[in-house]
Amino acid sequence: MDSISVATITPLGHQALRTPRTRDEHLARVLSREDFLLFDGAMGTQLQARGLAAGEIPELLCLTNPQEITEIHAAYVAAGSEVVTTNTFGANRTKLAGHATVEQIFGAAVSCARASGARYVAADIGPTGALLQPMGTLSFDDAYELFAEQVRAADAAGADLFIIETMADLAEAKAALLAAKENSDLPAFVTMTFDEDGRTFLGTTPEVAAATLSALGADVVGINCSLGPADVAPLVRRMMAWASCPVMAQANAGLPHVHDGQTLYSIKPGEYCEAVRGMLDFGVTVIGGCCGTSPDFIAGEKALLEGREVAPRDLCADFAVASAQQLVSIPAGHVGVIGERINPTGKKRLKEALRSGNHDYVMGEAISQTDAGAQILDVNAGLPEIDERATLVRLVSELQGVTTLPLQIDSSDPAAIEAAVRLYPGKPIINSTNGKQESLDAVLPIARHYGCAIVCLTLDEQGIPATAEGRLAVARRIVAACDEIGIPRQDVVVDCLAMAASTDQTAPRAILEAMRLVKRELSGVRCVLGVSNISFGLPFRPLINATFLSAAFAAGLDLAIVNPMNERLMDVVNSWRVLSGEDENAQVYVGAYAGRSDAPAAAASAPAFDTSTSEGIAKTLDSMADTLQKIASQVSGAPAPAAVAQDATPQVTASDDGPESQIRDLVLAGRKGPIPEAVKLILADTDPAHDSMYVINQVLIPALDEVGARFEKGTFFLPQLMASAEAAKAGFTVLRESASTSDVPSKGKIALATVKGDIHDIGKNIVRMLLENYGYDVIDLGRDVDPQAFTDVVVEQHIELAGLSALMTTTVPAMAETIELLHDQAPWCKVIVGGAVLNPEYAEMVGADFYAKDANESARIAGEVLG
Amino acid sequence: MPHGLRIAREALAIGSVSRSEVLRYLGYQGQPLSPELDRRIDDTVARCIRIARSRMCMASYAVREIGAQGVALEGCTLRLTGHDIVEHLADASEVMLFATTLGAGIDRELRRLSLTDALEQVIFDAAATALVERATDAAEARARAYAAEANAYTSWRFSPGYGDLPLGAQGDFLAALDATRQLGITLTPSDLMVPTKSVTALVGIHPTAQPGLVSSCSICSLSDFCTIRQTGRTCRG
Repeated sequence: MDSISVATITPLGHQALRTPRTRDEHLARVLSREDFLLFDGAMGTQLQARGLAAGEIPELLCLTNPQEITEIHAAYVAAGSEVVTTNTFGANRTKLAGHATVEQIFGAAVSCARASGARYVAADIGPTGALLQPMGTLSFDDAYELFAEQVRAADAAGADLFIIETMADLAEAKAALLAAKENSDLPAFVTMTFDEDGRTFLGTTPEVAAATLSALGADVVGINCSLGPADVAPLVRRMMAWASCPVMAQANAGLPHVHDGQTLYSIKPGEYCEAVRGMLDFGVTVIGGCCGTSPDFIAGEKALLEGREVAPRDLCADFAVASAQQLVSIPAGHVGVIGERINPTGKKRLKEALRSGNHDYVMGEAISQTDAGAQILDVNAGLPEIDERATLVRLVSELQGVTTLPLQIDSSDPAAIEAAVRLYPGKPIINSTNGKQESLDAVLPIARHYGCAIVCLTLDEQGIPATAEGRLAVARRIVAACDEIGIPRQDVVVDCLAMAASTDQTAPRAILEAMRLVKRELSGVRCVLGVSNISFGLPFRPLINATFLSAAFAAGLDLAIVNPMNERLMDVVNSWRVLSGEDENAQVYVGAYAGRSDAPAAAASAPAFDTSTSEGIAKTLDSMADTLQKIASQVSGAPAPAAVAQDATPQVTASDDGPESQIRDLVLAGRKGPIPEAVKLILADTDPAHDSMYVINQVLIPALDEVGARFEKGTFFLPQLMASAEAAKAGFTVLRESASTSDVPSKGKIALATVKGDIHDIGKNIVRMLLENYGYDVIDLGRDVDPQAFTDVVVEQHIELAGLSALMTTTVPAMAETIELLHDQAPWCKVIVGGAVLNPEYAEMVGADFYAKDANESARIAGEVLG
Repeated sequence: MPHGLRIAREALAIGSVSRSEVLRYLGYQGQPLSPELDRRIDDTVARCIRIARSRMCMASYAVREIGAQGVALEGCTLRLTGHDIVEHLADASEVMLFATTLGAGIDRELRRLSLTDALEQVIFDAAATALVERATDAAEARARAYAAEANAYTSWRFSPGYGDLPLGAQGDFLAALDATRQLGITLTPSDLMVPTKSVTALVGIHPTAQPGLVSSCSICSLSDFCTIRQTGRTCRG
């Protein structure tokens, strides 16, 4: 878990549709894909060739050697560049490090560029140099601020456009693009850099970059740097279908090598231009060069453009959304599955998880839905007693750690929606808006501004229309509003709202008819449906859901919001894909279903308990006894006592070979598999003393204590300690599921963190795991945690024990600072410290109450302090 | 006389890591291993190798000046300060800087495991540490080959944060290699590298053979806290 800062943003309100301010008609034509634009080549390698030392801040030359910078620009203009790029790649507040202000550099850099006589001056904005959260430590807001300062400075200095370039992180590119759009009306071009494997260093594909950034309002998207042009060409090509704006390419002149002390690049202008010609053929309209290119390359490209017409491009009109790593498109006629499980409505364990802030359960739901075949995951954190916005933002961040599926941001609070979609690196769906004017006014501008797809519910101030025509009328109004604000039709997803058949049997037909009408009357939009409402109030709901889902697909449903773990529903999806032709040659279907049949698998199916007659009850009890015997033999590896099979009342007595000692052995062996059944066996026995507390205090904790003792003696090493803790956790999970929470009291709260400046979290995670398995509530604040933020949580929740970890000598002072704040503001709280750079003496020096040399020691100390 | 070397970016094909090294990072001292744990370690190492995209970059710089306070290089702003590096590079004519990384995929997997499986995270982390060490060995071997070609010798490899060479040198170190652009290595404000499984190191190019090729514990800033030496080994084997 990592600390996430929640965006501080102002509500959008109505933003007028923005047309970028273009210097002249030619630039406007370029932006509407009617004309070419020729950039310049490299600045950095030109400066190095003139003696700039590696590591010097090249932007300072705009102030100290403006003549030289202008000469480089002028050489490009002479070669044919229409655009020159300012020498401001790293000109942000952090990298300038006080040597000059951002305003000074941009002011001087734009002047140098202007003096070259270029038609347009592009203000260059490169990456911050730091990695954004959650993998790095820079917050989205801080990155945004760095970029916004550059944008304002460049605009004030008189630049004509922005070129945001060499981005490897989609989140960072998004922060820069938003900073450009929200602080200036000049056109913003955005290019990312890709590795040999066709992804950026952070794993983004060309399709994802093109779809996300163009939806977000980039005026031009493309690729720069990366590789030589022959290797860049196929990557740029993959962008073409997904970028609704012009596409650009500025490749390197191959790779550098040293010859006679000179750094040279492998590709010559002729070869370079041949590859660029290929890109022009498939529709690239903005070209130039990156590392290693020179005016000779630009002259060659200028010759390529002479007399050339812009090549036609086919844009893909499929519904498409994206995470940072994966684009999911649903072509017309195909169907998609949106996993509905991450929504607390009616789900006790999910509510508990969201309230406690321990999101392990949510992560598990995301993983199982991903494995079950969901293509998009719905995320809803709507619980009245929690901070929905903060929780949603944290969930969205954490979910990206466990799944690459795009997310559907589900909330009725526009502020929560905006906070989540603003930070989301990718193109999400918003769930939802509806026909109420208030909702349209609040949500559509968010969808437009952040380039999201949007679910539109067919209800308005008058409620949900009963008829298909009524729903169409609402849909028509919403779609008109989307058209007006500029949300493309393929991003508009209409939900005709499934209603319970048990209360109104005309409802299902009305819903199906409404979908048919929407698809016929409102061309280009898609239909989505939360399917399971249809069966509300009826027994055996999955059957009704499945039948309705088939009918809905036939009526034109594109996206089904369902539980993908329900096999019956996924059977409908998989078989429909055969019938609709989506699953070509039924390849997927045959792979998954060959050999399956409907023949009753008596042994495997759950027994049907008939309790309506005394005979039925007797049979049921027999069957239960049988089941228990099977479980017992699985656990002990030996046949269960014969008495069990004879007697209708199941009895399992604890003995030396009983489940208690089995559990102990399993925990010591670190084998979690059979533990849940063994725990259930104890709970199922007739001794009333054998409750959850008995299992914890008499079975699990003594086993863990034995594990700890062995670790202490060195007969166990770390992975064995952890495997045992994992096995015990499997037992705790059963107890938590079977008992009401009040039966398993918490042994106390412990706050954990890796201190500010440190990003090593493995040791802390081991401690967390062990403490949780001893029954403590662990509040894990993550890594790189601000001293005051940590103290605030300790104070708010009156936490009595805190654990701090540091792995670098340089971060020990942050540990001392945190402890000082704790002593000052939370004097009741004891502090344990640990980590590779601490020992008992250092622990005392930084003011800690305890030093723990390992995770096991932390658990022992927690026992001492909290009991 | 050496002729200069620059490798902007190169993939390293590391197909295996030493199992005993992975176990050493896990604190193993000869305890009996269950078949489950045994298999798990093998599987995790294999997955780590599959996910990693091992890359390196390398650049040589001529030594301009070695003073009492530090070492200055030609054509780059990196200044290597501290008593230990001055001693280390005493008669070096040139230094070879290099950086290796396993890429962000490893960090993404570590993050996934931190949210789902703490034990697996620990094993994966140990595997990745062993792997980036192997990658760095491979890079170092290139530097040694470069020196040998010119009848010169390398000293053992030295990294920022080791001895009294400050971690604060990381920024200029990465800039001298253009490693942010070439390998995607970034720094946190506290000078830690992300992707986390990344290494920066240098070797001196010397006219004479150097006493050893392995670093020593005596100047290691972590020697006070070291738990590995108590087991009779060092972190280098």
